[in-house]
Amino acid sequence: MRSVLFLFLFCVTLKGLAQEKLVIDGYVKDSKNGESIIGATIYKVGSNLGATSNEYGFYSLTLPKGPHTIAVSLIGFRTYTFSINLEKSITKNFELSEEGTNLDEVVVSAEAEDKNVKSVEMSVAKLDIKQINKIPALLGEVDVIRAIQLLPGVTTVGEGASGFNVRGGNIDQNLILLDEAPVYNSSHLFGFFSVFNPDAVKDVKLIKGGIPSQYGGRVSSILDVRMKEGNSKRPAVTGGVGTIFSRLSIEAPIIKDKASFIIAGRRSYLDALVKPFAKSTSPIKNADFYFYDLTAKLNYRINDKNTVFASGYLGRDIFGATAFKFNWGNTTATTRWNHIFNKKLFLNTTAFYSNYNYILSFGTNNGQAFNWNSNIVNYSFKPDFTLYYNSKNTIRFGAQALYYDFLPYNATGTFLDGSKASFKADRRYGVEYSAYIGNEQKLLPRLTIEYGLRVSMYNYLGKGKAYYFRDTIPNTTRPLNETRTYAAGKLIKDYINPEPRFSANYVVNSFSSVKVSYNRMAQYIQLISNTAASTPLDVYTIASNNLKPLIADQGSVGYFRNFKQNMFETSVELYYKYLKNQLDYIDNADLFINPTVENQLIQGLGRAYGSEFYVKKNKGKLQGWVAYTLSKTQRLVRGISNDNWFLSRYDRTHVLNTSLNYDITKNLNVSANFVYLTGVPGTFPNSKVQIQNLNIPYNTDGIRNNYRIPAYHRMDVGLTYNVNMEKHWKRKANRRSFYRRVFGFETEGIQSPRPIFSNLVKNHEMSYVLSVYNVYNRRNPFSIYFRTKAGEPNQTEAVRFSIVGSFVPAITYNFKF
Amino acid sequence: MKKTIKYILIFTSILFFTACEDVVQIKLDEGSKLFVIDAFVTNMRSTQIIRVVTNDTYFSNREAPPVSDAQVILKDLTAQKQFTFIYAGNGNYAYTISANDTIAKPNHQYELNVTIDGTTYTSLTTQKRPAGLDSVQAIYNDGSGGFGPPGKSDYNCLLWAKDKVDAVSDYYWIKTFRNDTLLGASTDLNLSIDGTNGPVTDLPVDSTVFTPPIVFLGFNRFFPGSSCKVEIHSIAKETYYFFVQAASQINNGGLFATTPENVKTNIVTPSGAKTKAIGWFNMSSVASQKIVIPK
Repeated sequence: MRSVLFLFLFCVTLKGLAQEKLVIDGYVKDSKNGESIIGATIYKVGSNLGATSNEYGFYSLTLPKGPHTIAVSLIGFRTYTFSINLEKSITKNFELSEEGTNLDEVVVSAEAEDKNVKSVEMSVAKLDIKQINKIPALLGEVDVIRAIQLLPGVTTVGEGASGFNVRGGNIDQNLILLDEAPVYNSSHLFGFFSVFNPDAVKDVKLIKGGIPSQYGGRVSSILDVRMKEGNSKRPAVTGGVGTIFSRLSIEAPIIKDKASFIIAGRRSYLDALVKPFAKSTSPIKNADFYFYDLTAKLNYRINDKNTVFASGYLGRDIFGATAFKFNWGNTTATTRWNHIFNKKLFLNTTAFYSNYNYILSFGTNNGQAFNWNSNIVNYSFKPDFTLYYNSKNTIRFGAQALYYDFLPYNATGTFLDGSKASFKADRRYGVEYSAYIGNEQKLLPRLTIEYGLRVSMYNYLGKGKAYYFRDTIPNTTRPLNETRTYAAGKLIKDYINPEPRFSANYVVNSFSSVKVSYNRMAQYIQLISNTAASTPLDVYTIASNNLKPLIADQGSVGYFRNFKQNMFETSVELYYKYLKNQLDYIDNADLFINPTVENQLIQGLGRAYGSEFYVKKNKGKLQGWVAYTLSKTQRLVRGISNDNWFLSRYDRTHVLNTSLNYDITKNLNVSANFVYLTGVPGTFPNSKVQIQNLNIPYNTDGIRNNYRIPAYHRMDVGLTYNVNMEKHWKRKANRRSFYRRVFGFETEGIQSPRPIFSNLVKNHEMSYVLSVYNVYNRRNPFSIYFRTKAGEPNQTEAVRFSIVGSFVPAITYNFKF
Repeated sequence: MKKTIKYILIFTSILFFTACEDVVQIKLDEGSKLFVIDAFVTNMRSTQIIRVVTNDTYFSNREAPPVSDAQVILKDLTAQKQFTFIYAGNGNYAYTISANDTIAKPNHQYELNVTIDGTTYTSLTTQKRPAGLDSVQAIYNDGSGGFGPPGKSDYNCLLWAKDKVDAVSDYYWIKTFRNDTLLGASTDLNLSIDGTNGPVTDLPVDSTVFTPPIVFLGFNRFFPGSSCKVEIHSIAKETYYFFVQAASQINNGGLFATTPENVKTNIVTPSGAKTKAIGWFNMSSVASQKIVIPK
């Protein structure tokens, strides 16, 4: 590893020696709330010398001595330009202010907004929380995960299904990071809402391909969600009252411009609304059904060189009735330390803890009971260095140790006579070590390449039992051959995987470029789930002596072109992905509370390929995008579908996503989505067999996913009305004077905003969001299944199962002050 | 267990959203022909039936097409005896044993031979020991609770039975008959390991007394004058899993449906056979009781 590093440094040194260079470094922040800005471009006007602010808003730009005109820009913000005569290296922090909604205010900059063309990144989708807020949402609840499902290459098997599928990958192949800590179950209420509170989210970035070397651990995508730091300028309160939940977040500076916090919470309240009206005999009266989440973050800028962050998330879904209790949730905690060694070397060190667990218990009133829980815990430490070596090379290197500790199940049954039976699986342990180095190099004026290597090493450790199975006919339970017991910390099995990464961008001209990328990814943890939608009870399992790590190779090529001075961004991307050791299940697999669950699993191959077309309009009254994806996803597993390639459940031939919004006036915005997806494949019977009077569906060809369910299409509309606060207060004042005139008194305490609140009132914002999901009332099928008609043993029928059976209107009230 | 989990998941998921189901017309391909052998032989002193039929199109809505020219022979390998089943029409092959004897004896090994068009399909199994059935109890439900609609009185039938507590796991299929009609829907399949509803697989669980929910004989209501008959079939472990799989395939809908799969078979088709045979062969010991609820 060390020699690789040396080789790297040597290569870049040769190029860097030529002339004396100076450095400008610093942070880019939002002038309104002091939030650091991710992805702003800082560049010398009229050249290709530039830098991008990182995840913490830090940038470092190397320039030759002399006069420069420098611009700092990002879509949605006014471009800041200044001239400087650079004599020595300096530190300069910028504060950008937001662009107004009025088109006239927009400063059109010809160069920086073409980042999609100029950047070496490809297969990346970024969503600003402001954009997400404008998308009409199910039940009016703004949702990060549902918003990214409108992007090319991202699909889901249907409403209510948790997670999302990227380029044909399983839901467990996405690394979902909340402030760098992995989130194992990204959904509330199965799949209807995501765990991310939009009020606390700053930035969402989905990387589908060309994944840089600092990321690893999942093969299909990285969803990097960054939380807000909390307003460092003034206290602010944001909240909303919606159909399903209410939200409230508070953010404030602790020390102005130095330390701030944000704390944001949500709770669903259907139970609180329904219960008072339920009869005392109704099961609802004693039932629990709600979910909540709490997100908090604290940051402290110790000095110019050191900043620390602490952030945490706690969320839980709770269901219960007299006979059962069922709840699940994630907890994550992250601490980070940003350190600037010198103007060129930036370090972020992250330590995190992540825990996903569930509890299911049920019992009868005569004392019988069953309790079951499971959890997966992660601890990790990762230093990540960025070396802004010179204007042509930015080197990123670092390492990570990730410790897995999980309990597949712990179940206890209590019988009538009070005796207990306990089934507890051994806890399982694994450590994933990785080290990486990558360089983004401006090789030629028109050619930028990013190359890197990540090496991941995985150890499956004791204490515990390792099961060894004999081979047998594929797709049947492999018989147990031997059980070996290992002491604590003893190595049971190890894997090592080099993961090369490469991407290149060739700029054809100022508005178009061609990009290519390749990445290999290794994944040491997979979700065991053989149901149509993943359930909260599904257990993750780590690589072991039986389960090999999942390996994926992906190549993509794309053409990016902007039109009308970056008003339109367009791109076409082609990708091909090949997966090894993809998990599948034997027939009649028994996946719950089974010590030898590994002999119920089989590993096979997967492949996915497709093309993604994307047009996005960034400016003007009408904004939004249209994306079309043509793709195919298949699997090959021994013993399944006659050993032939079969369509994966995530295969969607055509996907069209449209999301548009239009500003009618300054305060009134209308938005709409339209999606069309080819129906997911399903396995349909071609005959039935009668055994013991049961009509059992049977497929004589044995082909899996031989049919498709009908297409899914849906349109949603939304209307956002921002209350004009000036008029609002004027109206209130008028009302007061009316009272004074008519009744001769004033309502107490509201004469004028008190001084202490005047600042809040000045910044007061209020909006109403009216949305209708599934406007034209289509019953989109989640699945088609087959059953015997009730009461008629010889009659069989096909049933369309839909999750959302009608249009869903909703109104949400949001406020901010 | 699987069922319980499924119900809880379904219950929790419908709290918020009322999913909807519509019967739809779907055009399905026609599968190739298979022979289906349905051989559940018991130790009961009655005529034993083995069915030989073929598969049918999924929406055929009729009884399975019979195979009338098969030779059906059951061999007791332990006692070295064989029984030839005679075609009795409608796909049924029958054997009637003398009044004081039974075909099936515990721990004996049996082989089934079904010959159609010169091809012999075979299967092997072992008869299991019977369960100790004590009684069936009818419990009056005054309509204030239980499974019936509130305000309507009825009877629930409760099973009292014992499982032998030892290292051997027993697998049971509990059949309930109301007024001598089998409650035979897939949702009525009442399966048990060692008298419990089996915390999943092969766990060393023994309960002397059969436990709920196994002991509730169908969630169906009985009324004064109805008869309730129960049969506890001791079945092979493989048969238990065959039923578990069949039940999950027959009504495999919802958000958490599993990938549809073909049920397993323990009928062996010889290599080179023109037509494949599937189906199931099981020899069971049966304990039975019948009560009539007084008027």
